[in-house]
Amino acid sequence: MYDMTLSQEEQLMLQSVREYSENVIAPAAKEADATGEFPWDVVKKGIELGLHALPIPEAYGGAGISSVLMSILAEEMSKACAGIATTLGATGLSCYPVLIAGNEEQKKLYFDTIMAGALGAFCLTEPGAGSDSGSVAATAERDGGDYVLNGSKTFITNGGVAGIYTVFATVDRSRGLKGLSAFMVERGRAGLSVGKEENKMGIRASNTTDVVFTNVRVPASHLLGREGDGFKIAMTTLDRSRHSVGAQAVGICQAALEASIRYANERKQFGKPIGANQAIQFMLADMATQTEAARWLVRRAAWLQDQGLPYSMESAMAKTFAGDTAMQVTTDAVQIFGGYGYSRDYPIEKLMRDAKIMQIFEGTNQIQRVVIAGRLLKA
Amino acid sequence: MRFIVCYKWTLDEEDIRVDRETRALALDHVRQRISPYDRNAIECGVRLAEEQGGEAVALSVGGPEVADSLKDALSRGPAHAVWVGCPELSGADAAAVAKTLAAAVRHIGEYDLLICGEGSSDYYNQQTGPRLAALLGIPAVTSVSGLTLSGRVLRAERKLEEGLEIVETDLPALVTVLPDIGEARIPNLKQILAAGKKPVVRLTPAELGLGPEALEPRARRESLLGTVADRKRIVLRGEGAVAELLTKLRAEGRC
Repeated sequence: MYDMTLSQEEQLMLQSVREYSENVIAPAAKEADATGEFPWDVVKKGIELGLHALPIPEAYGGAGISSVLMSILAEEMSKACAGIATTLGATGLSCYPVLIAGNEEQKKLYFDTIMAGALGAFCLTEPGAGSDSGSVAATAERDGGDYVLNGSKTFITNGGVAGIYTVFATVDRSRGLKGLSAFMVERGRAGLSVGKEENKMGIRASNTTDVVFTNVRVPASHLLGREGDGFKIAMTTLDRSRHSVGAQAVGICQAALEASIRYANERKQFGKPIGANQAIQFMLADMATQTEAARWLVRRAAWLQDQGLPYSMESAMAKTFAGDTAMQVTTDAVQIFGGYGYSRDYPIEKLMRDAKIMQIFEGTNQIQRVVIAGRLLKA
Repeated sequence: MRFIVCYKWTLDEEDIRVDRETRALALDHVRQRISPYDRNAIECGVRLAEEQGGEAVALSVGGPEVADSLKDALSRGPAHAVWVGCPELSGADAAAVAKTLAAAVRHIGEYDLLICGEGSSDYYNQQTGPRLAALLGIPAVTSVSGLTLSGRVLRAERKLEEGLEIVETDLPALVTVLPDIGEARIPNLKQILAAGKKPVVRLTPAELGLGPEALEPRARRESLLGTVADRKRIVLRGEGAVAELLTKLRAEGRC
């Protein structure tokens, strides 16, 4: 029933991404995490490979891969560094509003920009509109053939490094959710400025900033769908991207698990490897089982999406379970490594810091539970 | 110009496990891959074709398993691939492989430069390239770490144990390259998709006029066993340790 066998092309794509992850991302991860500096060389290589543009269909210059493969590739990159995986993944996220609601010209404009090597950013969150994305205060005012955008977005992944943005603003605050609308905005537009950069706990290789719009003028042809379609576009976008966040979380789990297994075999105390103790064995067994369970929830949500079946609830379940699992598994990995797990000289504590965001961004795991319960009770 | 790159589809040695008792190799579940030096060779051919104009052609001989290598090879840039396959060529020795390659190169026709990896990652015999050049009657330059073409003249840098040697020869010629020739690219997603649409010519040795006698191995393998590093677990302590160590090493003829 669930045939997720990879074709030969898909296996080659995985091989390329594995090579990129192991040979390009992994060696750069520690320094990018320590300094918080954006690793442009590594990201550029990912862009050359097409890994920032995974959701773009072949007709628009992308590789047109399945959601299942996207999920596998996201896991692989995240295993090497969740921060760099987030940079590339967030560009894909910014493409979804265009994919969902864009017309031909809009798709061409947005995807041509991305395929030419630009990163993208999805601008929804505001200081006063986090989980409550309906309370967006940024405005878009119609003025002749243009819209004029004003407002401040916060916690925007790629905010300072993107070449193009998808931006949510209201055309009429009195209409509440029904006023929310989605726009494409190029980086070079006058009045668009990059604000404060966050000094984050984890995924420090990624760039997270405020993005400020001051009388930013875009042609009316940059409105995605119709006025008032914004909330639906944003929610559909998040349905699509949630399980990808789950895939990143699974990548972190896998990295923590593999490091813990190696360490359990190498580290000797009381004259034997610590892995000879049942206390460690049971932790490893639980970590592996939870990781595998998270992986298959994530893959199944992706598979449902590929089949054109409903997947919104499954996507929320996958994100929640994988995010919570990443936190648990990385906490256990730090425990297995003991003092070395707590030291910044070893790569384990980074995994725990990176894992935390998986429970927060693209809908907190509490909001995901609201989505899941909503679906359950509606039936 | 036409650059023909020969590559071998080998077992990925990272997947091979050695039984500690019998030293037998566990070869089930071992994946295959393009021999790493041959990836550098493909990169070299593709870059030369880009610089000089013309095309790079990927050429491989082997058993039916080689079918799995074609998209991988083509995703690395060659315009098309030629594969000479029959079950008898699985694990064939360098003599049979070189004969088959020579027949395939003659079948392809015009060429300017043949490029092989210095050796394959499985047996590293370093024989196929020089044998192929001998069969075709063209010069062979081995251990090549860098090369340039000016018109019909090839200038190659050979990395030897005790220094570098620069040699020149006229085309057509054959080179066997070291990884220093240039890092192999990681194929991007679009190149992988495009690989499936590139032409592949499939031939059999019979179609190239090679009978079963041509594929007879010239060397017979008696056995194939892994190496196991077994420590003696002798710990020497105290003042006499150095002298004792020397005595033991002398007894084993090691110093």
